[in-house]
Formats: sequence, structure tokens, C-alpha cells
Amino acid sequence: MTAASITCTDLTIRFPVYGADAKSLKKALARAVAVGGALGRHAGVTDVTALANVNLQLKAGDRLGLIGHNGSGKTTLLRALSGAYEPDEGSIEVHGRIASLLDLGLGIDPSATGYENIRLRCRIGGLSTKEIDARMDEIAEFTGLGPFLSMPVKTYSAGMQGRLAFAAATAVECDVLLMDEWIAVGDAEFQKLAHKRLLKLVERAGILVLATHEAPLLKLYCNKVMKLEGGVASEIVDIRKVDELLKS
Amino acid sequence: MQTATHMLRTGQRGARFQFQMATRDLVTSLGRLGLSWSLAWHDVASRYRGSVLGPFWITLSMGLMVLGIGFLYAGLFKLPLNEFLPYVALGIVFFGVMTGTVNEGCETFVLASGILSQTSLPMFTFVWRTVFRNLINLGHHLVIVVGMLAFYGQWKVANVPLALVGVVLMLLNASWMSLLAAIASARFRDIPQIVVSIMQFAIFMTPVFWLPDRFGKHQAILDLNPFYHLLQAVRAPLLGQTVAGHTYVVLVAMALAGWAVTFVAFANTRRRLVHYL
Repeated sequence: MTAASITCTDLTIRFPVYGADAKSLKKALARAVAVGGALGRHAGVTDVTALANVNLQLKAGDRLGLIGHNGSGKTTLLRALSGAYEPDEGSIEVHGRIASLLDLGLGIDPSATGYENIRLRCRIGGLSTKEIDARMDEIAEFTGLGPFLSMPVKTYSAGMQGRLAFAAATAVECDVLLMDEWIAVGDAEFQKLAHKRLLKLVERAGILVLATHEAPLLKLYCNKVMKLEGGVASEIVDIRKVDELLKS
Repeated sequence: MQTATHMLRTGQRGARFQFQMATRDLVTSLGRLGLSWSLAWHDVASRYRGSVLGPFWITLSMGLMVLGIGFLYAGLFKLPLNEFLPYVALGIVFFGVMTGTVNEGCETFVLASGILSQTSLPMFTFVWRTVFRNLINLGHHLVIVVGMLAFYGQWKVANVPLALVGVVLMLLNASWMSLLAAIASARFRDIPQIVVSIMQFAIFMTPVFWLPDRFGKHQAILDLNPFYHLLQAVRAPLLGQTVAGHTYVVLVAMALAGWAVTFVAFANTRRRLVHYL
């Protein structure tokens, strides 16, 4: 197996923003008729450039922290790396199994029990039913939720849901872990467990890309930092220079 | 190029490239049909969670509907029960699978938006999820169908292999309609209402509750109704009747043309679908 790596070349992602108007068939038709059928390809749709010419090179062992204001493109970059968003220009190449922990709610069915949700989440993550059976005890133990796992997830607190999601998502063996800042969920005890698990992952020569606003978290997990500003990426710098980057 | 451990996404454009990517999506989804199946089962299970009968509500409510409509119409039209009841049961069950697949197609991508926006799972996985969910429903309805055919003795004349061919043709057609509805609904939120209206209209215009020979000399009109052919290919063999040759021509042609149009639509919208949601 080749080692994990991420390469982005001149990655540009634009969002078409379909206003409430554009989603209505009537309006679209009316517009088409009004201009005599010469409806432009992007008529009535505004493009927002979420990422502009981002270049990124990561290799096994890299733990990249993404910083930037709200709307600077951190999540977009993570989603693009997960394979959900296709580039408008440039390319993304990822070697290694990807696990994305961007949204706690991914594949979570609130009325299903904890066990069922672990199954569902792991199936989406790419495990077979047999593999899930084999790992269930370990995952269940890691969540620390004990008897609560037989109860519907809607009865869980946000912290408990976070434990469940984190345990299930990281049960899938991955080489590239993409995380949005919610890692801060859970109590101190769970944070410690999550910390250990993340370190183990990084030790297995994986790549971590973590988007966060919190400098302490960055310093804890990352060895490199990149700042995004309005979709434009800074150079990747060493974690020791994070304070300068935050100030600039 | 696209394996579990290697992902390449480029901003490359062009019809040929879009077509390749759409094909890859389809092929990848076929390699992971187990996932679609698991998701479909989860849907069915979670819908009936907490109820005493569980998924057998599907069977029960369908059974009640079949008996109610069967007795009512048999009385109204003065038809023998032993012929009409199996006829109506087959009609409602199989037409229901078709409408279910198409109507629920409208929600295929909308409901999967969370997963689609943060994983590289193929989009077709969710199309199969909708189709499989309706197949699971069909499985529950089969109890009624088999019961009816056994009770009234049609099992002796039923041509099951030919009916299976009909089921496959029905699914092939229902699935492209489902995907087309899914794409259109993701972009335009009026589409689900339109689709539901069309399917409701279709169930009354198609001989589901009534016999086609009631049409008399206007029988030719039936041949213009694609849903009539879809239903006939499944229902007629099970009742021991023959299926007109041109029904198969219509169904195969419709499947080919429908999939061609739908696949082109999919190839053109695939990279934008996630932004529609």
C-alpha cells in the first residue's frame, strides 16, 4: 500500500448560489420565456468563489491545522478533500482511505438506538456487516455510553452524541482523517480518550486535517498550519509560527 | 483511478469526461450494492420502529385496501369475486411499487444531502436505496398476492417466469423515472408535487381498479398509456393471460430511451447536484 498523501493543485471551487427564486420552476420558466429561450447557462445564478487556487501538499505524518474566519473556506476545503465537492479548476488527489468527521449528524438517525447508529455510520464509512460485528464491542466500550447504547439517540445529550459519532467514525480504519472543529465536544475524560485515539492514528502514518479557531487545539494536534482568507490560502507554516499567522 | 484508497477529482470538463465520471459513479455504486441494501433496510425498520406489528403494517394496510376496493368494485361492476379480487390485488400491489419508487425518488438526493456533502459515496447508491426500499415493501406485499392467487386457484395458470421478466422490466423503467425525479427535485422544489400529481392521475387512468375491456372500442387509447404496459407485463402472466407482443417492445424501448435521457441528465448535473441540495 502506498503511503497516505494529499495533493491539491490550483484548486478552485465556486458555488452556484441558487436563490429561493431559482429553485422555483415557475420563475425559471418565466425567465426562459422572457428572454426568448436564450437562457444563459448561469442566468440568475450567482457564483461564489469559495476556494481560489489553493495549492496543498501533505504526506504521511502531516497534521495540518486550518485556520481562518467564518466563511473563509475551511469547511469547503475539507469537503473537497472528502470527495464531495468537485473542483471547478485544478485537481485534488488523495491516496489513502479517507474518513471525514465534518458533521456530528452524518448518518445519525435520532430515533434509532446507539447500536443501530454505530452500524449505520460504519456502513457508510465502508465497513461490512461482519467487520462491524467484530468491532462492535470495542466501539461500544470506547463510547463509554454503556446501557445508553440501547436507547434512541434523540435521548442523548450533545456530548453523548459526540462520543457516539467520534467512536463510530474513527472505528473505520483510515489514513486520512478530516475533522471540523467539533472535536471539542465531550467532557475532559472523553477528550483524553479521543486525544489518544487521534495520536494513534497519526502514529500509523496517517494525515490529519483539522479546521479550528482554537490555538490550544492546534498546538495539541497539528504540526503545520495554513490560513485561509476569503478562499485564498496562505503558505503552510510550521506550528511554531501559528501565533504570527493568527495575528496577521 | 477511483478505488477506496485513491481519489482523484479534477476540474476537467467536456461531455466525454462527464460521461466517464457518471459511468464511474454507476459502476462504483454497483460494487457497493450491499450498502444501498443496508440503508434501505434501515429506512424500512426505522419507519415502523416502536410499532407492535413493525413492517407487517405494510402487509396489513395493503391487505385492507385490496379487500375494500376489491369487494366494492366487484359489487359496483357486478364482477365475480374470484376473478376480480386477484386482479385488483395484483394491480394495486405492483402499481404501488412503481408509484412508490418514482414518488420517493423525489427525495432520494434531498434526504441524502448530509452524506453527499461530506463523503465520496456514489450518488447512485442512493438511487438503489430508494429502489431497494420499494422492493422490500413489495416483499411484504407478496404475502397478499400469493395468498390471493392460492385462494382463488390462479396459481395453477400463473406463468411465474414470465411475470418475473415483467417485474424486471418494470423496475428498469421505474428506476430511471426515479432518478430523473431525483435530479429534477433537487434543483426545482416544485417537481415533487408535479410527480405526485402525475402518478395519482396515472393510477386512475390505468386499469388498476377497473377492467380494460370496459373501454370497448376505445381500447387503442390504453396502448398509449405506458403504465398500462408496465402493469400488464407483470399482472397478465400471473393471471394466466397472454401479454401482447408489442407490450414488450414498448417496455424495452421505454427503458432504453428513458435510461439514455436520464443518464445524460445525470452526467450533466452530477457535479452540481450536491450544490443544489
